[in-house]
Amino acid sequence: MLKTNKMMKIIFLPILLFFLFFLIVPLLYMFWQSIKIGNIITIQNYLDALKNIEIRRSFLNSFKVSFAASVFTTILAFLLAYAIHFTTMHRHTKKLVHIGITLPMLLPTITYGFVLIYTFGNQGILTKLIGQPLFTVYGYNGLVIGYVLYTLPVAFILMQNSMQYIDKRFLLVSMLMHDRPLRRFYHTVFRPMLGTIGGAFILTFILSFTDFGIPASVGGNYRVIATELYQAMLGSIVHFERGAVISVLMLVPAVIGVAMLTILERFNFQYKQAGQSELVKHRLRDGLFTAYSIVCVVVVFIIFSTMFIVPFTKGYPYDFSFTLEHVQNVLSEQDLTKVYVNSLIVAVLTAVLGVVITFLSALLNARTPLKGRKSLDLASMITNTVPGMVLGLSYLFFFNGSSLKGTFLIIIACNIVHFFTTPYLMAKNSLQKMDPTWEVTAELLRDSWLKTVIRIILPNIRPTIYQMFSYYFLNAMVTVSGVIFLVSTKTMLVSTRIKELQHFAKYTDIFVLSIFILCTNLIVKLGCDYITTHKEKVKEMSK
Amino acid sequence: MLVLKNISKSYKDKEVLVDINITIESGEIISLLGPSGCGKTTLLNIILGLTEQTAGQLIYNGQDISKNTMQERGFNIVFQDFALFPHLNAYDNIVYGLKNKSVQMSKEEVQEYIDFLELTPHLHKKIHELSGGQKQRVSIARTLVMQPKILLLDEPLSALDGVIKESIKERIKLIAREFNLTTIIVTHDPEEALTLSDKVLIINEGTVAQFGTPQEIVSAPKNQFVEDFILRQLHIKRHNIYQLFGETYA
Repeated sequence: MLKTNKMMKIIFLPILLFFLFFLIVPLLYMFWQSIKIGNIITIQNYLDALKNIEIRRSFLNSFKVSFAASVFTTILAFLLAYAIHFTTMHRHTKKLVHIGITLPMLLPTITYGFVLIYTFGNQGILTKLIGQPLFTVYGYNGLVIGYVLYTLPVAFILMQNSMQYIDKRFLLVSMLMHDRPLRRFYHTVFRPMLGTIGGAFILTFILSFTDFGIPASVGGNYRVIATELYQAMLGSIVHFERGAVISVLMLVPAVIGVAMLTILERFNFQYKQAGQSELVKHRLRDGLFTAYSIVCVVVVFIIFSTMFIVPFTKGYPYDFSFTLEHVQNVLSEQDLTKVYVNSLIVAVLTAVLGVVITFLSALLNARTPLKGRKSLDLASMITNTVPGMVLGLSYLFFFNGSSLKGTFLIIIACNIVHFFTTPYLMAKNSLQKMDPTWEVTAELLRDSWLKTVIRIILPNIRPTIYQMFSYYFLNAMVTVSGVIFLVSTKTMLVSTRIKELQHFAKYTDIFVLSIFILCTNLIVKLGCDYITTHKEKVKEMSK
Repeated sequence: MLVLKNISKSYKDKEVLVDINITIESGEIISLLGPSGCGKTTLLNIILGLTEQTAGQLIYNGQDISKNTMQERGFNIVFQDFALFPHLNAYDNIVYGLKNKSVQMSKEEVQEYIDFLELTPHLHKKIHELSGGQKQRVSIARTLVMQPKILLLDEPLSALDGVIKESIKERIKLIAREFNLTTIIVTHDPEEALTLSDKVLIINEGTVAQFGTPQEIVSAPKNQFVEDFILRQLHIKRHNIYQLFGETYA
């Protein structure tokens, strides 16, 4: 067995301190703020907040609109994943669904709102085509559509990943047993997916409930809890205690949701192996699902197409002639290019430092006997639960007087903590899959532990490292809710700058900046995917 | 009686099976034997009705069933890793298909199958609580209660360990005799095939290398392939066992 050594402890200590100062203490401090008035400890703040009709209504609104959005998202995502894995739809169509549905992930959610306004609003493209608006986009409708667009990729990825591991031969067994379609569907797809369906529902609910970008852009007068929190902290009258109370209240559904996810795990069962078997062709089914998939992708494309039309037309919606004027304007405005550079700096540093911290955490957790290594799992669970806005707010409280305030460093730290869970689990999974005897073998060959990590572990986990990098980079590039409370005039980012541009109704600038983000993310994502698969291919060829 | 007439299968320009002609008598146990990738699983799928042959006919009891669907044929299969529904217990797996039948089977009849496979003590266990051999028997029971016209077994012994293997072999023979059930087994293990079946179909690169009783194959191998890949393995095994026990045990 591998023994704990000094090196492991030397690495462990700073990680532990990092989580202490950038996760645990700020959250506790915020909680402390919520239960005191002056120097007295009291629950009066909570009573005040709960008595406040506006807060109650916002809370209820958040529930209603998130619930509706999650119902839609879960159904849509399930059907899309079903089309991928249980129909003999053409493989190009399957590929199209993959790309089309997940593409919006490369954009900040705040852009979603503006894109919706330009599609369904009074001057919207669809409105122009039809002649009158289909519905009012501001408020409830816009929020539901925005949340669905935002959470559909996540739910889809989750479901299609889970369906991939369903043993397809059960379809065959069911056919041989002369099942009717409904019974077949229940036993071979629905029941095995039950845990995932529940999980996807809860996850989309929490994401919608805590998102700030969409209500900030398309919420209108329909107040939700995220906008309420923003108002309390950065509105015309600042209510610190109220802000603290709202963010604690915002944590409640998140905590319940994560607890429910753990319970739902029990509904999942693992198939020993995912037996591949030919799916039986069924013209009607395949035709219907192809049509459905294409409609979904086309709708996403239509909605987001405005983003590419508006900034390249002279005077939307009156003059549709092509122009590069707006793009040139943005490029010539130092202010905007600086914001873009800021975003790049933050994203790169978040990705590099984030990968280092998540990799080391996963390494200590999965491949050493270090005492207290389970605390890293706990950290990952907490970061998974705490919404970005709440985390950002807790930093605002805790680091208010410190020199960290208004620096890039605090934004980067917030991003690393906020998005910690996914890359940590990615690293942990691949580390656990590696042969457990490597360290001992290397030790017998006279390698030190650190040398083993560098010579054996790192080369083998490289593809996962690229994917972790890409995850951190993209999210740091698009996040609004995590950093809205932390940016200063000097550290302004593209996503938060968009929020400001809204006040001046500079929508073309918003779209140009969004295109910048999209292109940057696309390059990073494709680059990371390319080296990941390229290395794999080289490996396979040399076998 | 099942007759395969000139069965061929190709994917695009790759030929997987070429002109297979065999006749299987009712109640016989037949093994499809060959190295991996030889086309034996494809042939099994063609008989089952899952894969459509490119050319040739299947005749069952005088009727051409070449174009019939899997359900219409009424054959059934037990998979290599048993494919039992993990969310149902052993009993619910066994009676799974009965709920779809118009003519109901009585409880006593179901119990007969369960007794025959000695499954009574395990009926209320979850699937993951069963041993490999028990899973195998549950899977066979689930298939038998559907009263298939032909029973197909895909590598039935490969997921089981040593001692269980022999007892399952006996069980398969017993089933075929008891229910006069035509049984077709896919395997890559010559010993398994030759000790278990009435006739063995040896397939190599999509063609029939030899079709005959175990005796015929051992005494008169038709070609080099049968000699090299089938008989040599058995000779090595025999040699090893003789070395262990001495010639007197032969």
